[in-house]
Amino acid sequence: MYLAPDGDEIAIADAAAGFLADALPMDRLHSAGSADLNAAQCQLLGGMGWFALAVPEAAGGSGLSAVEHALFFREAGRQCAPVDLLAQCLAANMIASADMRRAVIAGEQGVALAVADGDGFRIFGAASAELALLVSPDQTCLYELSGADMRNRPALDPANSIRVAASLPPPVEVLAGENIWKLGQLGTAAMLVGLAEAALDLIVEYAKVRETFGRRIGSWQAVRHPCADMAVRVEAARAELWYAAAAMKEGRADADVHLDAAKHLANTAAHANADTNIQLHGGIGVTDEHGAHLLLKHALVLSRLFGSKRSLLARLLNARLDD
Amino acid sequence: MNLHFSDTDHDFRARAREWLTANVPTTQRAAHGPQAARFDRDWQRKMHDHGWAGVAWPKDFGGLGLSGLQQVIWYEELARARAPHHINTTYISLMHAGPTLIARGTDAQKSFHLPRILNGDAIWCQGFSEPNAGSDLASLKTRGVIDGDHIIVTGAKMWTTDAQHADYQELLIRTDPASERHKGLTWIICDMRTPGIDVKPIRTMMQDDHVNMVFYDEVRIPLSNVVGEVDKGWSTALATLSFERGLGFIGDQLELYERVGRAIDLAGKVRLDDGRRAIEDDGIAQRLASIKADTIAIRSMTLADIAETDRTGEPGPKGSMMKLMVTSTHKALSEVVGEIIGWDFLEFNGDRTDHPWTYDYLWSWIFSISGGTSEIQREITADRVLGLPKAR
Repeated sequence: MYLAPDGDEIAIADAAAGFLADALPMDRLHSAGSADLNAAQCQLLGGMGWFALAVPEAAGGSGLSAVEHALFFREAGRQCAPVDLLAQCLAANMIASADMRRAVIAGEQGVALAVADGDGFRIFGAASAELALLVSPDQTCLYELSGADMRNRPALDPANSIRVAASLPPPVEVLAGENIWKLGQLGTAAMLVGLAEAALDLIVEYAKVRETFGRRIGSWQAVRHPCADMAVRVEAARAELWYAAAAMKEGRADADVHLDAAKHLANTAAHANADTNIQLHGGIGVTDEHGAHLLLKHALVLSRLFGSKRSLLARLLNARLDD
Repeated sequence: MNLHFSDTDHDFRARAREWLTANVPTTQRAAHGPQAARFDRDWQRKMHDHGWAGVAWPKDFGGLGLSGLQQVIWYEELARARAPHHINTTYISLMHAGPTLIARGTDAQKSFHLPRILNGDAIWCQGFSEPNAGSDLASLKTRGVIDGDHIIVTGAKMWTTDAQHADYQELLIRTDPASERHKGLTWIICDMRTPGIDVKPIRTMMQDDHVNMVFYDEVRIPLSNVVGEVDKGWSTALATLSFERGLGFIGDQLELYERVGRAIDLAGKVRLDDGRRAIEDDGIAQRLASIKADTIAIRSMTLADIAETDRTGEPGPKGSMMKLMVTSTHKALSEVVGEIIGWDFLEFNGDRTDHPWTYDYLWSWIFSISGGTSEIQREITADRVLGLPKAR
């Protein structure tokens, strides 16, 4: 029993953190045209094998587990990485066709994330993405986007562009089962935990240097106490994330309960911490120049994916843990 | 990262489950009074006689020498067997006083007191807080004057749980009258039968009398009862408190998941004013499910923290965050159950057995104030976890 990164896991997390801070730093979102994974970024990530950590070696991946998947996406969350990064990774874990899987793992073929919206779909991802993945709890569908009629919509969150489609062509591949949904749930929970941590880090660093009334604001209890509450939310959400990741890796029967709990705690922690981070920054926190709003806007997207509040709580109410 | 318990741990769980199933008392513990203390002593003696006393204590001192994870298993099995709650009149002796004596006591203190704690003969109480020294413990004023081979204690202690049942007290006093704050304090073992001690119950909002004021009028305590050094008692007191912030509330942490399950069962039976079952109300159902998720996470936090402590050998600064999480979740659960059970929530005779949910609702303030208020826990977290500039 050990519920923190350990041994090789630490090395992978450190490598992911360093790589993502260079390849997809959160500051990119202050520049126009930074939404989504562009083709160059996609190939860069693919070349390093980041899309296929949990893909078996025989299928062209690293043969690692849900734990490494979670470690990677936690770091991605700290940088507000776009959600098509997750779609690319889930497609690498799903696609049966060897040629297509190889191209997706290498980042040569981009994958957008599709979600159902009423009778139609919303597509998060680059215009250059040729594929889109629609994941539900019991099956995953892969679509080719060429020929799909899509309209651009303005996006609140600069990390991803949004397009809508009234319909999609028949899927080119369908995979039954819940595994891809679980990897998606774990990935979004991990990104939200990373985002909640990033919000806490930002305000703690600011509170150590910013002065009001002749004192650093981190010495006022009106600032210290909400920061402590942010730390508690991170601590709880992170512990549950690690439990869920390990339960999935070990094939435990109650892994789905822990994934739901992890996603719910991550949703709550990310939203509340992004909120408090803006408030405690004061005026600078509401400016476009500062990054605080980026965390909030990205949390709003991630918290709706792979289990929103209502659906998670409905499942959790009757869920049972194993002994 | 892994969720494996070792073969030894599985074996321990199986043995604990078997013994507890066969031996957990079937009679109801009295809520108050000498019968409650008698019940606790008997249960402790039974565990002792069958080799289950002192789960957190090293083997050299008569304990089981369990790892933190095995202690988690023990408390999980206690909860499963519906064993008597471990926070009872033996709590201070087993969780505070014994570990403090093991860490800082003399050989004579250890050989006299430790066996009596383990077999349930000796009940202890705490004597730290005072009317003007609660969260700000270092401002305490109860004075001790050295007179030959005794210390003569005069003053008052406050919030002393179970003082009326206790044989001994872990007493923190100011022995250097010129000292301030953390200096000049002494940690001493006080025999509660010594002349000059007067115990006055403080009735709480739960209408019970577990906590007391204790008055000391020239109480003579042998110098040989000092634990650690005279005037260096703050160091001993920090050791005492560290045991509470390590595994002190582990039982409560693990029990919350069971309690939320009972609340959900209750909500499936009780009907609201409009005739629907409480669980059919979206607001109630969502709150219960969210609290349930929090209790699942609390167990994961507990395991994460304990596994880390087993590895490093030192409890980290995370106990404060744990207490904040546990006390807020406990309160949220009590509040939603209060809505579920409607008018029945307003019936209360002061007995936890008869009105458990109302009692626990009132107790939620005891939980978030005693052992360091939530405000103090936030201060500790801001200082020791986040490294923010000092408030003081």
